[in-house]
Amino acid sequence: MAVLELRNLTHCYGEKTANRVVAVNHVSLRIEPGELLGVIGHTGSGKSTLIQHFNGLLKPTAGEVLLDGENIHKDKQTLRASRFRVGLCFQYPEYQLFEETVRRDIAFGPTNMNLPPEEIEGRVVRAAQFVGLSDELLEKSPFDLSGGEKRRAAIAGVMAMEPEILVLDEPTAGLDPRGREKILQMIADYRRQTGSTVILVSHSMEDIARLATRALVMRHGEAVLCGTVDEVFSHGEELFSMGLDVPAVTKVFLALKQKGVPVRTDIYTNEQGQAEILRLLRREGRA
Amino acid sequence: MIRDITIGQYLPGKSFLHKMDPRAKILWTLAYVIVIFLCKNFWSLGLMVVAAVGMLLLSRVPLRMMWKSLKPLVPILLFTGVLNLFYSKTGTVLWTWKFLTITDRGVYTGAFMVIRILSLVSVSALLTYTTTPTALTDGIERLLSPLKIFKIPVQSLAMMMTLALRFIPTLIEEIDRIMSAQKARGADLESGGFLKRAKALLPILIPLFVSAFRRAYDLAFAMECRCYQGGDGRTRMKQMKLGARDFVGLALLALLIAGVILLNRFFVPLL
Repeated sequence: MAVLELRNLTHCYGEKTANRVVAVNHVSLRIEPGELLGVIGHTGSGKSTLIQHFNGLLKPTAGEVLLDGENIHKDKQTLRASRFRVGLCFQYPEYQLFEETVRRDIAFGPTNMNLPPEEIEGRVVRAAQFVGLSDELLEKSPFDLSGGEKRRAAIAGVMAMEPEILVLDEPTAGLDPRGREKILQMIADYRRQTGSTVILVSHSMEDIARLATRALVMRHGEAVLCGTVDEVFSHGEELFSMGLDVPAVTKVFLALKQKGVPVRTDIYTNEQGQAEILRLLRREGRA
Repeated sequence: MIRDITIGQYLPGKSFLHKMDPRAKILWTLAYVIVIFLCKNFWSLGLMVVAAVGMLLLSRVPLRMMWKSLKPLVPILLFTGVLNLFYSKTGTVLWTWKFLTITDRGVYTGAFMVIRILSLVSVSALLTYTTTPTALTDGIERLLSPLKIFKIPVQSLAMMMTLALRFIPTLIEEIDRIMSAQKARGADLESGGFLKRAKALLPILIPLFVSAFRRAYDLAFAMECRCYQGGDGRTRMKQMKLGARDFVGLALLALLIAGVILLNRFFVPLL
């Protein structure tokens, strides 16, 4: 059974005013437990609006959001509980840091859940471990950390609520390659160790190809493509026409194919690419 | 809710008022605000109301927008009106109950006050509806420029005002974003007593201040990179010039003031 389900979700900004904008248009989606769904789309395609429905921050104009089969807007308790069951980490989350120490900032979410102090402490330690923040950093002021550390501290603040579904909006935006790598590794580890469902919004096709089990492509507020990563990236032409991309390595193999080299084009990660080239060379007896 | 703030809202248009020089408009509004407090009876106040309605027509600002800026005033108007209604002890008694009495003078005073506040706010709202914030600060700067003799940095003050106005929408957006982020971490902003709510604001105010300072630094650097060194000797892209329209406006203002003075003289003062 789907852990999170969207039924015909529509959201309009400025309803009943002259500048009415339909940000999300009749999106239906089922998210299965344990999967990692990558959400791809251009700026303004409605990704951020969509994910703010997952924990009830936005109320749908039409349609419903079901968490374990229960409408999250049913009553106040269900709505509040959904905040903790679906952990939402916004874009540039470092701007939400506010406490005196990193430790207290990470504890903000769990404290709001009214957990006993020992439990809060345990969660803070676990979350800090996931994102790789040392004990020494935990005692520092969040404003004294480096950019990448701040980002990880902020993500830890959401992870510490130990949500069943973790939603991350562009968690690697504006980081250097090493910072990106750390965050992606961290997300993969987190998912493997806790078995939670993860929803990852990203501009990077490489990141989606590497981590996601399923991908959703948004355009003008509509879900235009949804399926396994292979299925989605096999629609290369469509993605290009939407101003989106396929991973760089896929483009290389598409170009090779065009030149008449007998390669497969369903190559989405560097590892797959390496294997395919080795296969080709072996066949020609050169390796 | 936060998006409903209408302060400093400009409505694009091409009306007489839109085309007037901001200096003339500022003078007009300032004079209007002063003169309305000099009105002593319904006759002179009536003239001021006529002037306000005239301006509203000249500005072509829709009534709906006018109402939007007056709506937050309703509690204040009710409060003033009701208080004045019971306050007056002289005049003919119209109604009495225990210690409360209403006299005809009370009714007049209440109505007078309410009309006064209404026209005052409408006229000031018209100024911001028909003038872009930049034109407004430019106008203020030019009007204050004589103060340069006293070594008051008028140019810098005007620049600060422009920047402050420019950042209002940015900061509102920022507040929205921070609020959503903290709500996603279970921050409860809507329940609890006064103290609890005030405490719940901290997770929003601290990041807001941090980001405001960050933006201020960024902006200062960006301005320095474009060789901004303070105001003196800066030329302007839009030269302000008083035209026929502005002289007509100022002449009408003179007439209005003269009219109020005359009406105050010839009719019995109310207060």
